[in-house]
Amino acid sequence: MNKAGERASIPSHGRDPVDDRELVLAAQRGDRDAFKTLFERYHRRAYALAFGVLRHQDDAMDVVQDAFIKAHRYLDKFEGSSSFYTWLYRIVMNLAIDQLRKHRRARPVELDEERIENDGDNPLLPRILGGNPGRALLDKQIRNRIDQALDQLSDNHRSVLVMRELEGLSYEAMAEAMGCSKGTIMSRLFHARRNMQKRLLDLIDNPSAALVDDLTGGQAREDDAAEPARDNDSPRKRVPAARSR
Amino acid sequence: MTTPLSTTSSDLELMEHADGELADADADAAARIARDPDARAKVEAIQQVGELVRGHLELSADAVHDARFASMWRRIDDQLVAPATGLWARVTAWFDHYRGHVITGAVSAGVVAALALVLRPSAHDAGAPGLGAAAIDVRPVALRATPEIDALDTPGGSSTVINLDDEDGHTTVIWVTPADTVEGI
Repeated sequence: MNKAGERASIPSHGRDPVDDRELVLAAQRGDRDAFKTLFERYHRRAYALAFGVLRHQDDAMDVVQDAFIKAHRYLDKFEGSSSFYTWLYRIVMNLAIDQLRKHRRARPVELDEERIENDGDNPLLPRILGGNPGRALLDKQIRNRIDQALDQLSDNHRSVLVMRELEGLSYEAMAEAMGCSKGTIMSRLFHARRNMQKRLLDLIDNPSAALVDDLTGGQAREDDAAEPARDNDSPRKRVPAARSR
Repeated sequence: MTTPLSTTSSDLELMEHADGELADADADAAARIARDPDARAKVEAIQQVGELVRGHLELSADAVHDARFASMWRRIDDQLVAPATGLWARVTAWFDHYRGHVITGAVSAGVVAALALVLRPSAHDAGAPGLGAAAIDVRPVALRATPEIDALDTPGGSSTVINLDDEDGHTTVIWVTPADTVEGI
């Protein structure tokens, strides 16, 4: 298993750029093996991006397949001003966004796009999970929680979060990819992170009662009063400090 | 312990700082964040969410069996086309690329031609009230007035024209006599 937080099996951004360039040139001359090498180098990374945005394995596989076919078709137009992967991820991202638009599911619509300045009631949370999120990813339950949290984000919030965290895109580049303003991107990213934190609240190490109250509107204590014998498997067992006030 | 929560505007600044998006001109903000333990904790939280999301998605990608990607490559390989080298291949590639434009142009031209045919005035419309009045009568002159020949110029000879009006109408008789005619030759 990978050490979380590192990119062990997925090639990093811009790895072997010279090799990539040579492979692209060979593929442009019709060398299928060269293109296959590019596929082998980047298919999992492209899949991670597509899966992060679409949250559906088969849809993500379809997008990756279409992206490589499209990349090959337009390979003669690739001039090498950016890395091959940068070019490929743009194709993947465009196809994934198209897929979202075509099969848009009933999802919560974010009403907070342009009003982060006045949203003082929803600040970012301080540190979660102690100091080692990598170790946390070894816990299947925690990974399930992250899955659920990602699923619950709106398509736009999740797309921005995935582009930023997986590809490290700048706000400007994300704005270009999504066809919106930089301010909108910042707002989406802010709320995406905030919502992820909120949904992973129970993973916070020893949160203060005030913090839990702030995030749950006091619901946690009311729940405690109404349901003192909570299921021991509930994730909330991880926040004993919140219960003990 | 209660963690003091800073305002959202500074949270936005913290996010920009965590993402490396604060401009160099905002060095003061970076220094302020470095001095504030709460701010540092929030920056760390932002980075942790990033690590969780990135690590989780990469592990999800790693979990997909190699066989699925091998199968994907076979499907991709089946659809790969050799780069266009010949003239015909380039024309075909051009058509593939601009197929939409070509079809749109052809359909537009067809529609215009069809409209021209539909709106063209027909022979039946020529006698229609309102239309005939404005139209020019193009009947031949011969049908409007009977021609009458008074004389005939016959170079190299002579001619005689006789017009007769009788019960059948008008009859013209023309005699042409060549010059230097030798009778009997």
